[in-house]
Amino acid sequence: MSQYTRDPDKCQMVQDDLAELALGILAGRERAEVLDHLESCAHCGAELESLSTAADTLLMLTPEIEPPLGFESRLSEKLREAAQRDRSRRFRRVSAFAIAAVLVAVLGFGVGVFVSNNGTGSPNRSVAAAPALAQLTSNGRVMGQVVISTDQPTWMFVTVDSAKLSGDVSCEVTLNNGQTLTVGWFNLSGDYSAWAARLTVSAAQVRSARIVAADGAVIASARLSV
Amino acid sequence: MRKRHGKDEGVSDETLLSGIAVGDEQAVLTFVRRYQRRLFGLAFGIVGDVGTAEDVAQEAFIRIVRHASVFDARRGSVTTWTLTITRNLAIDAVRIRRSIPVAPDDRVFLELVSVERQPEDTALAADAMTRVRIALSNLPMEQRRAVVLAAMYGRTAVEVAAVESIPLGTAKSRIRLGMAKLRETLVISESP
Ligand SMILES: [Zn+2]
Repeated sequence: MSQYTRDPDKCQMVQDDLAELALGILAGRERAEVLDHLESCAHCGAELESLSTAADTLLMLTPEIEPPLGFESRLSEKLREAAQRDRSRRFRRVSAFAIAAVLVAVLGFGVGVFVSNNGTGSPNRSVAAAPALAQLTSNGRVMGQVVISTDQPTWMFVTVDSAKLSGDVSCEVTLNNGQTLTVGWFNLSGDYSAWAARLTVSAAQVRSARIVAADGAVIASARLSV
Repeated sequence: MRKRHGKDEGVSDETLLSGIAVGDEQAVLTFVRRYQRRLFGLAFGIVGDVGTAEDVAQEAFIRIVRHASVFDARRGSVTTWTLTITRNLAIDAVRIRRSIPVAPDDRVFLELVSVERQPEDTALAADAMTRVRIALSNLPMEQRRAVVLAAMYGRTAVEVAAVESIPLGTAKSRIRLGMAKLRETLVISESP
């Protein structure tokens, strides 16, 4: 704190955008700039907090409208299905050793195929089995890693090594065709955690992955394909 | 007249969420009956059609049930948490369907910005709602519209400018000034 010298001009610039950030409607470069400044400015941070409270309170004005007939029974059915899906889509917690072993095995396998293809000139696998591997980042900061194996069945591994994150989160992937899939969900806690889940698509189809909080906010993301 | 649903009386939102977190189906049902009109109302106001609004409201309930155990009361009320989840899902649904911003559903929008009439007899949080209505009614109409477009409908400053046919700078300052005034009445006056 003591080393930080407040720059009133920068604060003024940021404060012009804080209301929009609090309302969740600021995007792109402006958003990144404001978030960057907030990392080091407690004054603007406090401003944002009170503006966010005001923005949330506005939702209290929501008008009540009777939903269509049968809403409740259709919802009950969906909740039952979701509970079943959740049971099967819960990420399994795995140890750091398991992840390391998988990484070595997957990478080793990939390299092996690649070398033998070159050596014989007759590749018997259409695509070299290099695993998809990418860093999970949040505002430019590395929060963990995503690894997708290329063998069958496809496994997705997620590691998160930031103590700043906690709570139930879901993991979503966006495919090359633009479709978004929810892979599953897990609970973040502690300094370092690692999870594994089955993927119903192949690694080559996955463009990016995201860790999403309960309220839909994206906590961290990873870009997988080139 | 207020409709009452059996066991709804007296059970706090927080208690219901704890019940939901441990798989109590009665708690889920009570919660759904308590909130379905508001979640559907919010979703319908944003997406503008009944089918999509139902999908959004139901997906919101699914998320709420799934994440009930991690609700953090220190960060806000159950109501705002629930409504924020619904709002974000509804805005996502709109953005997937169309790329051009359109004016929100008039029926709901007009009800939101015209705050002169008395608040309805709402079983929950009538006080909080009244306070918000009063705070909003203190804003000049153009700031009120800009703030509601942004807060409820997730419209960006660029989209507010397009919907209202005003320059971007004007839209940004209406949002900024409106929010500053709301904060003054809603947040600062609350802290002792
Ligand atoms: Zn500052």
